[in-house]
Amino acid sequence: MRDRHYKLVATLMFVFLGLWTIISLFPYYFQFITGFKGIEEVNRITPTFWPDEFLWSNLDLVFSDETNVAALLDTLLIASANTALAVFLGSLAGYALARFPRQAGGENMAFWILSNRMFPPVAILLPMFRAFDTVLGSTDNHLSLIILYLVFNMPLATWLMMVFFRDAPRELEEAAYLDGYSPLRAFFKVTLPQVVPGMMSVALLCWIFAWNEYLFANMLVGSNVAVNTIQMPGFVQGAQKLWNLAALFSFVAVLPPVILFMVLRRYMVRGLSLGVVKG
Amino acid sequence: MAAVDPKAGGGAQTSEFPEWFLKKKRERLLIVSRWVPISLIGLPVLVLLAIVIYPTIWMFFHAFHNTTLMSLTRDRYQFVWFDNFENVFTNERFLNSVVNLVQYLVFGAVLEVILGTAIALMLFSVVKWNWMRTVLLICMVVPLMLPPAMTGLIWLLMLTPHNGIINEILIITGLTTEKIEWFSTSLSLWSITFADIWQWTSLPLLIVYAGRASLPQSIYEAARVDGASRWKVLSRITLPMLKEVIAIAFIIRFMDAYKYVDKIYVMTSGGPAESSELPVYIAYQRGIRDFQVGEAAGYAIVIFAVAAVLVTLFLKYLKKVLKAQAIA
Repeated sequence: MRDRHYKLVATLMFVFLGLWTIISLFPYYFQFITGFKGIEEVNRITPTFWPDEFLWSNLDLVFSDETNVAALLDTLLIASANTALAVFLGSLAGYALARFPRQAGGENMAFWILSNRMFPPVAILLPMFRAFDTVLGSTDNHLSLIILYLVFNMPLATWLMMVFFRDAPRELEEAAYLDGYSPLRAFFKVTLPQVVPGMMSVALLCWIFAWNEYLFANMLVGSNVAVNTIQMPGFVQGAQKLWNLAALFSFVAVLPPVILFMVLRRYMVRGLSLGVVKG
Repeated sequence: MAAVDPKAGGGAQTSEFPEWFLKKKRERLLIVSRWVPISLIGLPVLVLLAIVIYPTIWMFFHAFHNTTLMSLTRDRYQFVWFDNFENVFTNERFLNSVVNLVQYLVFGAVLEVILGTAIALMLFSVVKWNWMRTVLLICMVVPLMLPPAMTGLIWLLMLTPHNGIINEILIITGLTTEKIEWFSTSLSLWSITFADIWQWTSLPLLIVYAGRASLPQSIYEAARVDGASRWKVLSRITLPMLKEVIAIAFIIRFMDAYKYVDKIYVMTSGGPAESSELPVYIAYQRGIRDFQVGEAAGYAIVIFAVAAVLVTLFLKYLKKVLKAQAIA
């Protein structure tokens, strides 16, 4: 009796899981089909679940426009440069916090750095806007975003690198010291190779966060430099709302993070949970 | 995982050694100059001072002045005591947005964590084949990787009242007979919340699933031998052991929900009639679009102060969890 009861519940759960999977994928599927519809079909009063005809020429329409390609390349440049900077600075601080906790300010320092990621960035945008305007002459350039994205990426990188450096056994490094290695050589030969997988996952997370950022980009850049999150709304803000091209552009723009995530899911759980859960 | 402070964290193991020995050992470990750690941490701290602390102080300063963009460029602004804050707290628009925020956090963050946890545990207990779990998990977590702003736009298109695909599906399945006005004053915030739940349920889902997968199988076998019912296993073993993981997922999600307004920007711009505004959105609008720097600073400082309290509490909890992990 009890077992049959459970079977019913299990079936219901199974159905729910299936439903949730479909819900999770549906907008992505919708993006895909909308991207290849004609604009007349998008505006039709009864929406269709499959395009009447796949308009592959839409791809051409989107990517023959230089500004769209430039937006993708700008985003790539900004996200990659920011990630490199965040991981570099984060590794320095993370190493100091893991190996020399007392001298580097202890756990208060670690938690203070992490807290910077949790604060709403609303308080810093205006002054930074003004600072970039005075120092760089304009905010509409790559550098301002590369620097500003450090606000959320560097604390994360520092915290996670600290976690990964702590996982690397300290004894190995001490043994290297005893063998006459200099601290620098011990770091590069012994410690660094142990944290490379962790470092990769940190880099991926930072890269995805920078790739997906919208608010800072919306405020700071727009004409010289565009990133893909502000390029996409451009398709539907004019007199003609080109929803199909917007959908196609965003479908292409979200492919890199989605593919990276599918391949490297295991490494990213640790980072997403601030190091608490081992994936 | 070792504790940050050797004295505080590893006290249980090291207390049996005499003080001089510990002291000597610490000195021996630190064979690099004391300037090395300071300079290692110094560069990142300087960057944070420049891009976070300096701006925050700047905003704090202008929260007490009647600054606008014009007066800022001419350096002509006056000290106005608490006028900006008074303005914030007596403003109907702000009070309204606080109500919206509470609704958004309860149905966004809280519901997402509950739903994510439920789905993660279901996925683990109902689906027997490993490959299928992985496939379903990956499908369910795809939304996490999409940019929130683009997600918002796609949902905007799907929820279009007159020819949107969601209304079409609801009519086909018979859940509603007439097309729903998703972006009316009463529903606009809900529409944003739906898109938000769709996207962010995957974060607690992923974290809790990984936490559940790392629990030792032996405990469950012991429980089965003892004849514990499924409900007992869930309420006495699984949930208590995943308590910290769920809490961390909640903390991360909550602080993100508190600070991000991407979807509001692209989906409704706070409208119609300010019905989907959150405090953070107002602060951005007043500062960037309306150039009321002083007033925006007032909003920002209020938002910042609330976040400071929350972040302090959350980090205290995180510290406790990490300490417990280091000892276990």
